[in-house]
Amino acid sequence: MSIVLIGINHKSAPVEVREQLAFSDEACTAGLRTLVDGEIVKEGLIVSTCNRVEVLTATTQERLNETFERVNQFLEQTDKLTASAIQPHLYQHTDDAAIRHIFRVTSSLDSMVVGEPQVLGQVRRAYSIALEAGTAGRVLNRLVHHAFRVAKRVRTETGIGANAVSISYMAVELGKKIFNSLAGHTALLVGAGEMAELSARHLVNAGVSRVLLANRTADRAAQLAAELGGETVKFEALPQYLPEADIIICSTAADGYLITEQMARDSLSKRRNRPAFFIDISVPRNIDPAVGKIPNVFLFDIDDLESVISSNIREREREAERAELIVESEIMQFQQTLRVLDIGPTIGALRNKLQNVARSELLRQRNRLGPLTAEQEAAVEALLLSTVNKISHPLLSHMRRSYDASDAEAIQAWRDIFGLEE
Amino acid sequence: MRSLLLAVLAAYVVSAIHAVLAFLNKRRALQRVSEWAMGIGFVMHTAALIADWAIDGHYPLFYRRETLSFLAWTLVASYALVLYRYRARPLGAVTLPLVSLLVFLAIIIGAAAPDQAEASIRSATWLFPVHTTLLLFAYAAFFVVFLASIMYLLQERELKLKTFSAIFHRLPSLTTVNEIATSSAAIGLTLLTVGIATGMVWASSRDGRVWHNDPKEIFAVLTWLLYLLLILYRSSSSWRGRKAAWIGVAGFALVLITFFGARLMGGYHVFG
Repeated sequence: MSIVLIGINHKSAPVEVREQLAFSDEACTAGLRTLVDGEIVKEGLIVSTCNRVEVLTATTQERLNETFERVNQFLEQTDKLTASAIQPHLYQHTDDAAIRHIFRVTSSLDSMVVGEPQVLGQVRRAYSIALEAGTAGRVLNRLVHHAFRVAKRVRTETGIGANAVSISYMAVELGKKIFNSLAGHTALLVGAGEMAELSARHLVNAGVSRVLLANRTADRAAQLAAELGGETVKFEALPQYLPEADIIICSTAADGYLITEQMARDSLSKRRNRPAFFIDISVPRNIDPAVGKIPNVFLFDIDDLESVISSNIREREREAERAELIVESEIMQFQQTLRVLDIGPTIGALRNKLQNVARSELLRQRNRLGPLTAEQEAAVEALLLSTVNKISHPLLSHMRRSYDASDAEAIQAWRDIFGLEE
Repeated sequence: MRSLLLAVLAAYVVSAIHAVLAFLNKRRALQRVSEWAMGIGFVMHTAALIADWAIDGHYPLFYRRETLSFLAWTLVASYALVLYRYRARPLGAVTLPLVSLLVFLAIIIGAAAPDQAEASIRSATWLFPVHTTLLLFAYAAFFVVFLASIMYLLQERELKLKTFSAIFHRLPSLTTVNEIATSSAAIGLTLLTVGIATGMVWASSRDGRVWHNDPKEIFAVLTWLLYLLLILYRSSSSWRGRKAAWIGVAGFALVLITFFGARLMGGYHVFG
């Protein structure tokens, strides 16, 4: 049993190449049906996202080279570029390396942003497509489920997915750190830029109850307010609404401070000192840096956010090292599973063979036994079969041990003795 | 009762180790082990206190070993309440090791040389145990205020400096620790007030005097004043951050002096 993985990702190829290879869900299903022929490629699965295309297949040891050829051919046919253009970007992994790769992909260790959670869902999706297409079998089922387990372990045992690594998510994370839950809190957007919009969406998803929008052009604010279920407020009325807001995000092109220290102080005393969280993602800055010195006020400008993010990324990378150890230990476990998978048919064949001997002997000698009741007949057969099973049991467990020890010579010897073909 | 107390200690140590590991590794499974061990320890501890009471024939809060054990018991009860109300698990990583230490000390002190508490036992009416029990619970509440205040200060500082240490993300939110500190301070002050009042009633019925100019009394009153100040300060606005937290820390220093220090200065109060 061998596992072959051929693919392309954001590290091995630029987007111009990757986009030529991307599969839609339908193309995945159709592609799998042509790729998996049951002879050379026994099982197949295609993961296709904007950052990667991975073709994962299971085959037998003997047909490894043919499988490589077939998958490469398949990819070249799919590719809208010429074959020579894609070839240098493909990576090819076999067995351990292939297992390691799929574990790392699923655990988000191979992602552009290490620890991002989407990739797990994408692999899940790819797996359900393969199931529908009927191309995920014994080996890939186990492999993919094992990969999900590894991803879960990595997520719970390391901090790889902890701590925000984007500005828009940072607002949510720090907001929760200050307010515990965002429910019942109000966010105020000053300026309706793209970044502010993204942050606001995250905040709404995280439970912020009320969104206020202040923009110089009322149209844009009204449109965004409608989308987010927020209210627009007049830009000039900012000081009036400031005390109502717990989280304030500024992102305008204004030249100078829209929120001065005095405004923030007034707002805070109207809020009876309840903490306020200011985020200034505009350049030049819209919030006077002195605001950050007021007690119970927390101000983050774009540089502060960036520096927290880069330290969070470093933290994730440190955690990724721990995750790699988990992956390695899981690879060893999976090999064990594979070995058992492989031995199954051999043991089954042997057991059948021995039982057939018992049955045919019974048939041959049946006349000599004279008339028997149905019960007696069944008893005789059971007697023979259980004798065979009892005798073969130590044999089979010895065989299993040879497999566990990967003792190739012994395994071959067993096969020769009983004349078993694979 | 020594063997039962050893079992209690074992349960608390298991709980403490798992709480610390859960804090460091963020593992849910470890936290569950910690909480179960704590629960089992607490039940056995309660049984040990009741058995002590039944066997020795006096309320189990006179001798020093009894005080330590009882104090540990009130700390566990307080932490369990905070856990139930706020899910503030990181508190356990500090409280449970301390609880284990207190029980350990209670065991090694054991029934060694009867101390000065003898006199109190003889003259104790029902008011006396009420007085001491209330005060121990008040101290436990102030310990919770102290821990929550420290957590507030650490996080507030990091938010202001915009650099976050590894433990930052493991602590409860600012709002949570602020609420814990506020409500525990209110509970602690109430217990302290009633505790001091019962002490005065008991003292006046015993020897006709309410006040003995004893260091413990003086510090207790200072403590009471400081926490009263804290409560008033907090309630004068809907949120008091750093200053209130510093008072919470200072208040606990005073509590420690009242509880342990006053003993060194001698006086009317003989245990603690």
